[in-house]
Amino acid sequence: MNKPVLFDINWNACINCGACVAVCPQEEPFISPFDTIAIDRPCDIACMVCEMICPVTTITHRDAVPSDYPEGKVTEAFREGEKRQN
Amino acid sequence: MPDFSYDIVIIGSGPAGATTARLAAEQGLNVLLVDKKQELGAPVQCSGAISRHAMEEVGVEPVDEFIHEAIYGFAIYNEKGEKKTIDYRQLAPEKYGPEQGKTPLGYVVDRRRFDRRLMTLAEREGVETWLKAEAKGYEVLPDGTCEVTIHHFNEVKKVKAKVVVGADGLQSIVGKWAGLRTQIRLTELASCLQFVVDKVETEGLLEIITGHEWAPGGYAWVFPKGYGYAEIGLGVVPTFTKNNAQQQVDYFMKSSFFKERFKDARILEVQGGGVPLAAPLKIQYADNMILVGDAARHVNPITGGGLHTALSGGKIAADFLAQTIKNGNDFSAKIMKGYQDNWLEQLGNKMWKLYDVKTEIFKTEDIPERDRLLYGTMSDYFSPNSEYKKI
Ligand SMILES: Cc1cc2nc3c(=O)[nH]c(=O)nc-3n(C[C@H](O)[C@H](O)[C@H](O)COP(=O)(O)OP(=O)(O)OC[C@H]3O[C@@H](n4cnc5c(N)ncnc54)[C@H](O)[C@@H]3O)c2cc1C
Ligand code: SF4
Ligand code: SF4
Repeated sequence: MNKPVLFDINWNACINCGACVAVCPQEEPFISPFDTIAIDRPCDIACMVCEMICPVTTITHRDAVPSDYPEGKVTEAFREGEKRQN
Repeated sequence: MPDFSYDIVIIGSGPAGATTARLAAEQGLNVLLVDKKQELGAPVQCSGAISRHAMEEVGVEPVDEFIHEAIYGFAIYNEKGEKKTIDYRQLAPEKYGPEQGKTPLGYVVDRRRFDRRLMTLAEREGVETWLKAEAKGYEVLPDGTCEVTIHHFNEVKKVKAKVVVGADGLQSIVGKWAGLRTQIRLTELASCLQFVVDKVETEGLLEIITGHEWAPGGYAWVFPKGYGYAEIGLGVVPTFTKNNAQQQVDYFMKSSFFKERFKDARILEVQGGGVPLAAPLKIQYADNMILVGDAARHVNPITGGGLHTALSGGKIAADFLAQTIKNGNDFSAKIMKGYQDNWLEQLGNKMWKLYDVKTEIFKTEDIPERDRLLYGTMSDYFSPNSEYKKI
């Protein structure tokens, strides 16, 4: 289990190719309007294969914080991640 | 109540979707084809190499509108720059050549114009087409049909259909709506980047450069692009290298046996994308749904070519849907499975075979041996008496 992360994409380098989405194991669509993975909400799986496939290495991430979750409602995965860290 | 009603709704007007649409309409179906783009094929994420017979098989005439350059054969290079040339102008000069009465083997097409042309052909068969139309979800209705939600410009439209066809390419999400596992393994997606360049000479051949040094997990290519331009690109599989595709192209252009040839190259366009060197999806259907083209991972796992398979897959899908709807069957997953069965029989089983060949090569750990295997396989694949039936 990995700690949930929030992604950021440098749009200047992104070529909107969708490769990051194609390798993503999320069951529900986890996407942005630009054929990339979502960046407006945390990813609880955090397997990082999206970062690895990007032809121009333009995806970065940081640890998710509670305010990244819609209405601050953190998920089970987030709580687990916090517990493991402490 | 849905606002619109069709026999089938096709999501994505790439080569797979537009071909499915055209051939289904030709057989009397009432078809809606939607694409979220404002200009099909753009930004270009494809080198555009396609054989002439791939187009002929589905009744697409090669026209100037989309042809960048005619192709007459291949040159396959090993990691040291030794090559095997397979030039049909020499192998079968009576048939292949630029002269009147002879034909090219294939073409490098402009995807913007190719995709637009395929949509035009569909439209001329009576297909209704919407651009700036993004499909957002589907729901199976109690009466056995389904309803697709489409954002068309600023309007939300509900469209009723018997079957929805997911032709939404590499980043496909249509399958996920129905819970299909569409994810490609990291080890099986080539991360690609290519440049369209000026001042690099080509000779009407598709050049394929193998070797771990240049394209770890994939291969590099130099294709003629018309007007004296060329495209130089490559694909890497991230588990084979720490470099990204961009760094690797740079290295290939500056350090390979082609560095002299490339030294004046001027970059005119930057393009890229992902190519599944994967097995086709194990399940490409669900209730009221089938997947076709890149969405179903219908890509030749050796060459990474997906245009031919998108066109032929489109024909298989259209024929199946026309038959099924005429027979008055229901559209449950059980019936939709027939599409996959037809596809496996006509195309898929061959692709699985190629997938096994590819897997054998890339699981070889010794790099010189792997290079040798890939070079040998590529050379065989493109040779006229190839044991692999071309797909
Ligand atoms: C760098 C690169 C080079 C390549 N070179 C070659 C080559 O030389 N020869 C070859 O044969 N193949 C090549 N390929 C592969 C080829 O490009 C693909 O296999 C082919 O484009 C697949 O066609 P398709 O119709 O399945 O999907 P696509 O062409 O990807 O079309 C999908 C369409 O669906 C639309 N769409 C997606 N989601 C939605 C939605 N929710 N709502 C509405 N519309 C949607 C998209 O806008 C798009 O127009 C290359 C690929 C790459 C990345
Ligand atoms: S980390 Fe994994 S699960 Fe999360 S967005 Fe990236 S690929 Fe998808
Ligand atoms: S893989 Fe990289 S370049 Fe391609 S869409 Fe995702 S972020 Fe953009």
